[in-house]
Amino acid sequence: MTAETAGRSTRFDWSTWLRRRGWTAGVWLLLLLMILWYSALIPKFGGFQIASISKNSLPLVYLAIGQAVIVIAGGIDLSVGAMLILSNSIAAQLMFEQPFGVTLAIAVLVILIGAVINGVVGWIITVSRVPDIVVTLATSFSLSGVALLVLPSPGGGTSEGFRAMFTGSTTGSGSNFWPSLVAIAIPMALAAWWMKNTRTGLSLYATGSSPTAAYLSGVRTARAKIVSYAVGGGFSALAGLSALAITGSGESRAATGSLFTLRSVAAIVLGGVALTGGIGSVVGAAAAGIILFTLSPILSAMGIDPNSAQVVQGVLIVVVMMVAGIIELRRQRAG
Amino acid sequence: MTIEPGVRPLLSTRAVAKSFGNVIALRSVELDVAPGEIHALLGANGAGKSTLVKILSGVYQADAGDVEVEGESVRLSTPAAAVAAGLATVFQDPALIPDLTVGQNLRLTGIDEGEVRVWLERMDGASLDFGALIRELPLPLLRLLDLARALALEPSLLMLDEITAALPADQAEHVFTVMEEWRSRGNSVLFITHRLGEVMRMCDRATVLRDGRTVASVAPQEVGESGLVEAMLGEVVHGEPGAVRTARAGVGQVLLEAVDIGSGDKVNGVSFRLHAGEVLGLAALEGQGQDRLFEVLAGDRRPDRGEILVKGASLRARSPYDAVARGVVLVPPDRLLALLPQRSVRENLGLPLYDRIRRWFSVARDEKEKVADAIDRLSIDTRAARQAGRLSGGNQQKVVLGRWLTAGFQVLLCFDPTRGIDVRTKAQIYGLIRELAADGAAVLLYTSELAEIPLVCDRVQVLYRGSIVDEQPAESATEESLLTAAHGIRSEEVA
Repeated sequence: MTAETAGRSTRFDWSTWLRRRGWTAGVWLLLLLMILWYSALIPKFGGFQIASISKNSLPLVYLAIGQAVIVIAGGIDLSVGAMLILSNSIAAQLMFEQPFGVTLAIAVLVILIGAVINGVVGWIITVSRVPDIVVTLATSFSLSGVALLVLPSPGGGTSEGFRAMFTGSTTGSGSNFWPSLVAIAIPMALAAWWMKNTRTGLSLYATGSSPTAAYLSGVRTARAKIVSYAVGGGFSALAGLSALAITGSGESRAATGSLFTLRSVAAIVLGGVALTGGIGSVVGAAAAGIILFTLSPILSAMGIDPNSAQVVQGVLIVVVMMVAGIIELRRQRAG
Repeated sequence: MTIEPGVRPLLSTRAVAKSFGNVIALRSVELDVAPGEIHALLGANGAGKSTLVKILSGVYQADAGDVEVEGESVRLSTPAAAVAAGLATVFQDPALIPDLTVGQNLRLTGIDEGEVRVWLERMDGASLDFGALIRELPLPLLRLLDLARALALEPSLLMLDEITAALPADQAEHVFTVMEEWRSRGNSVLFITHRLGEVMRMCDRATVLRDGRTVASVAPQEVGESGLVEAMLGEVVHGEPGAVRTARAGVGQVLLEAVDIGSGDKVNGVSFRLHAGEVLGLAALEGQGQDRLFEVLAGDRRPDRGEILVKGASLRARSPYDAVARGVVLVPPDRLLALLPQRSVRENLGLPLYDRIRRWFSVARDEKEKVADAIDRLSIDTRAARQAGRLSGGNQQKVVLGRWLTAGFQVLLCFDPTRGIDVRTKAQIYGLIRELAADGAAVLLYTSELAEIPLVCDRVQVLYRGSIVDEQPAESATEESLLTAAHGIRSEEVA
C-alpha cells in the first residue's frame, strides 16, 4: 500500500518544485525586486549601476559560494574572510606592475594556495576531531597574521587586464557590466553543477546530511570534508583576487576579514543553506550575497544613514527566516 | 550441526572479539556461513548481533580474531572494503541520505539505477519515483530500496539486520521471495530477526549468540522454536510473556476519554474510554493513522476535531508538557528520539523530575532514590550507564518507561514498545505494564505484533483508515481475528 502511494509523478509537479527549489527561487526573486526598487529610487538607472552592484558584490558572492560548499558538507569556516585578505595581500604583492599573462598565472597559483591551505585545515579537523568552529577560528587568526607579514601596509597592485576581467574596466569603474555578471555566473554554475551531479559533489551533501548513513553506504566522509574545505578555500582566495581587481591595490586589515566572514555566514543562511548541513544550494547563497551587498546603495538612495544598513541587514535575515519557518510549520500542520 | 565436511564456508569468523571501553560486546564469535544458504543470526538483546554485523560490514574493527571470506583472511577496514569483499549489508536504519533524491543516493555510491529498478519491481516497488527525496518517502519503502541497492552490488553474502521489523506483512513476503532467489543463485544471506517464525520458515541454519559468544549452530527445523529460545536465553522459559499477567483489578473510573477525535485525513472520528486498571490494546496494520492518533493523545499536535477528556475534564494541550502535567505520558515509537543519548541513565530517568525537584535546591537525594528505584524495578543493565545511547535497544526502552515511573502518571500511551526487543525483555516490559495497570494506571498499547495483544490487554480495538472499526475482548481475540478486522473486513462477513 505504501509503495504505491509514494509519488510516481514523472510529470512536472509545481508543489514539489516549490518545496525543493522554492527558497532559491524566492531569494532570486527578492534580489530582482530589490534591483527594480533601486532603479525606481534613483533618477538614472543604467549600465553603470548594474556594473557597480555586480562587481562590488563579487567578493561576498564568492565567499558565500565557498561557505555554502563547506556548510552543506557539515562544516563551517570562520576563516574565509582571513583567507580573502591573505590571498588579496599575496596577489597584490606579486602582481604589482606585472603584465596580464603573469598576473593570470599568479591568480591560478593563489587559488591553489588557498585550496591547499584550507584542505589541510579540513584534514586537521577530520583527524583531530576538534570542532570545525574552533579550528577555523584559530586558523583565521593565523591567516590574518600571515597577511600582515606579506603586506604590512595597504599597497601593491595588479595589471589593467586583470582588473578588467572582473570589473569590465581597466580602472575598476565603468558601465560595462557583462564581465562582472559572467564572473558571478560561471563559478556559480560550475559549483552548482559539480555539487549536484558528480559523485564527489553528492558526497558532500551526503556527509552533511547524515554522516552515519553516508559512511555506512560507503561514502568516504573524511575525504568529502577535506574536499569541501579545499573548494571553499579556493573560492575564498578567488574572493580576495576579485577584491584586488575592484580596488586596484591590496589591503590586509584583519577587521575587514572578520566582517566578510560574518557576512558570508549571513549570506548562506539567507540563501537557504541549513547550518546543520546537507540542505541548500550555492545558487541561493550567491543571490543572498548580492542581496546583502545591494542593501546599502538602496538605503543610501532612500536617504537613510548608512550605519542603519547594518540594522536593516539583520532585520531582513530574521524576517526571511521567520517567514520560512512559518511556511514550513504550516506545511507540516497541513500534511 | 556444522557445515558438511568438504564444503568451504563462504564466510567464517574465528574468535572475533570487540569491546567498547570496559563494556565487552563480543567475547568470542565463531560463525560459518556456507555458500547457498540462508543463515539466521539469533540472540537476545545485547548478545552482540548488531556489533558482529557492524564488524562484518567494516563499520567497526574487531579487537581480536579473524574474518575469512572463501578461505582468505580479509581486513574489513571500511564499509567500502566490506563491499569489495562481497559482503553487503542492509542496516537496521536505512543508510540513505535524507536530503538527496533516490537517484542521487544511487549515483553517490556508484550503483546502477537499472539494476535497482529491476529488484524494486520484483518487490512491488516499481512505482518509486527516483526523483523523490528520501525524507519524503515512507520507511518501509526505504527498507526495500536499501535492499535493492544492496542486491545491485551483487554480494556473495547479503546481511539483513532486522529488515522485517518495520515492514508490513505483504512487504515482508517480498523480502522473503528475494532472499530465496538470492540463495537459488548460489549466494548466501545472513538474516537477523527476533521473529522465530521467520527463522523456522526461511533459514537453513542458525547461529545463536549469548553474551558475546557463539553458543549454538543448529538447523532450526531440527531443534524447533523452543530449542532456539532455549539457546538464546540459556535456560528454559516457561510460558509466554502474558503469563506474568496478574489477577485483574476491577475496572475503575474513566481516566482518559477520546470523543470523536479527528486530525487531517489520518484520524477520522476516534472515540474510546480508557479506565483505571485496564490495558486497552490497539491493533492496526501499518499506516492506519495510529502514529497521528498517538501524537494527538500525547499533546504533540492539537486535534482538528473532537475532544480529549482526562478524568472528565477537557484537555487542550498546547504541547506534551500540558499532557504530562495532567498525567498523560507517552512511550514513543522511536526510543532514541525519547532519550538524551549522550547523557547518563540517571539523568534520563530523572528528566521529567527536573521541572519539579530542581525548583528548590534540595534535589539530589530525592532524585537518586526514585531513579535507583526505577533501575531496580526494571532491572536495567547499567553497564553502560554513562551514556544512554550505548545501551542495547531493550535497555533503552526500559529507560524510556522508567522515566515515567520516576515521574508518576495516570495514563500511559505505549507505541510499539517491544519493536525489535528480545523475548526476555519483552516479558519484563509486558509484566511491568500489567503491574502498572494493577496499581491503577490506564494503559493504551499499540503493538505491531498482533499475537501479543491477547497476552497483555484486557480489550482490544482495531484501527482501520483512521477509525475504530472493531472491538474484541482480549481473551477471545486471536491473531487471525485481529488481522481480519485490521484489514477492514467485518467479522460477520467472514462468518
